[in-house]
Amino acid sequence: MTAYLTTLVVLVAVSALVGLALNLQWGVAGLVNFGVVGFVALGAYATALLAPALGWCGAMIVAAVLCAIVSTVLAFLSIRLEENYLAIVTIGFGEVVRILLLNETWLTGGAVGIADIPRPFVSLVSPARYDVVLLCFSLALVAIVFALLEILVRSPFGRALRAVRDDATVAAALGKPVLLLRIKAFAIGGAVMGVAGALHAFYLTYIDPSQFTSIITAYAFMAVIAGGRGSNIGLLFGAGSIMALLEATRFLKDAVEMTDGTQLAALRLGLIGVGIVLLLILRPQGLLPEPQRRVRDFFPDDGGSA
Amino acid sequence: MLAQLILNGFVTGLLLALPALALTLTFGILKFPNFAIGSMLTLGSYAAWIGNSLLGMPLAVAAIFAALAMAAVAMLSDVLVFSRLRDRGSITLLVASMGISLILENICRFGFGNSTRNFVFDVARPTRWHGLRINQEQLITAVVVIVCVILIQLLLYASPLGRAMRAVADNPSLAAVRGVERQTIARITWCLAGCLTALSGVLAGLDRAVDPLLGWNYQIPIFAAAILGGLGSPTGAIVGAIVIGLAEELSSLILPTNYRQVVSFAVILGLLLVRTQGLFGGKAVRK
Repeated sequence: MTAYLTTLVVLVAVSALVGLALNLQWGVAGLVNFGVVGFVALGAYATALLAPALGWCGAMIVAAVLCAIVSTVLAFLSIRLEENYLAIVTIGFGEVVRILLLNETWLTGGAVGIADIPRPFVSLVSPARYDVVLLCFSLALVAIVFALLEILVRSPFGRALRAVRDDATVAAALGKPVLLLRIKAFAIGGAVMGVAGALHAFYLTYIDPSQFTSIITAYAFMAVIAGGRGSNIGLLFGAGSIMALLEATRFLKDAVEMTDGTQLAALRLGLIGVGIVLLLILRPQGLLPEPQRRVRDFFPDDGGSA
Repeated sequence: MLAQLILNGFVTGLLLALPALALTLTFGILKFPNFAIGSMLTLGSYAAWIGNSLLGMPLAVAAIFAALAMAAVAMLSDVLVFSRLRDRGSITLLVASMGISLILENICRFGFGNSTRNFVFDVARPTRWHGLRINQEQLITAVVVIVCVILIQLLLYASPLGRAMRAVADNPSLAAVRGVERQTIARITWCLAGCLTALSGVLAGLDRAVDPLLGWNYQIPIFAAAILGGLGSPTGAIVGAIVIGLAEELSSLILPTNYRQVVSFAVILGLLLVRTQGLFGGKAVRK
């Protein structure tokens, strides 16, 4: 039972981290990233390759920095263009990462992947109890990232990002460095995706390219839309409830005649698609919308002149 | 050897031309890139496979069946989804198109599994001409695409409907003042895009085999072609498609074939660096 609970919590934690990252990029800053899976894979592989040499913590930090650098480059190339171009560039990036992972066998092990990835805090407890450590580790990671991002979103930086998202022209006219703000948001988001990849690698201890499919990207978008774009609390709620729903489809397998796992996987992904479309049409603000802060919230004695 | 690669590249490019044209047409009218283009192609190829293999139609009839079916699917997705989101800006629309893409692709996977399917079609021996090997599929692709391209060009530049489409693409409000309804034109454009992607799905299924990821493999080349031509420019999309096809085939001289997709991505990145408006497009830089 602990094992199942750990699995569930770690899976939710990974998708929550990915979701929080996408929420900063797309929800707060309005930058569409269809290559989420590429950044997660990059983080996971960087961690897997470096952990034996640098230790888990060093590897995770390097993975985050690497993802941030790659995000900066991609963003720098495409962010000054219309949003459409960033979307296609990131989708291409995701594919290129997949092709590289499959073909650069000398580095990534190709389709076989990398095994025996060192885990954090292994020496602390006996292997039988390790599940609990991993569970706490993932919860702590989500809590730290959540706190940092929440501080960021409430800071002047976060306000400027939302201004850029809502109307870049006005923000620019007020002297905000639009390009720089966007690149920073995209880079921070990329770094968090790298951390999510690291957690993924620590949990499974072996990684291969088949684990990194567009499902990860689809989940992340679904979580952000369900929770409410721009709302970090909503995101945690969204990621949690989607995982619960998807886990529930496992039991659907017994209730309905299904020939194979392929159909189940197809059903899940198809439902994610339906969910994305329906929420966009029916409840675009999400289930727990981003709080609309007014001038009065900051200056209660202003007499409502806003 | 080189001539053979150029021939193959030209045909690959022609295959890309139809979906690139569909992408650029919908972009012109609706101002968002339709990320469901790849899965529309996949669904089109499955529709043709159903007609051809399960219902016993000849492939040509099945292709027409698939084109009509996809026109209906494209129209339906506009009625149910895209027209409801029209005023929400292009980001919402493109995320919605990604949702549609997931739905369409997984309908194929749910119905027919991951295994590859082939059309019932007698493959003739390749023709030899001055040392070049020309497959029958390549001839069919070339003929179908060239006919379609000519028809589309005639439609766009020599018919009242085409004039209305160009007017809406150019300036929707002005077109509305002159009595051209954006909604009607958008629906017609979707039907056209559905037909074009379905036909390209049939050609792609003939060239490779029908499987759920058929269209996804073309996604980046299609976008590269449309961006290279300048998003919104029909002539540009065709030229862009041929350039991408040639670049992909010729890259096999210096790159392992596994890396073909990287070529399209490199073209996109290169364009973003030097010439964002593509060959024929307008400006793409943000306001």
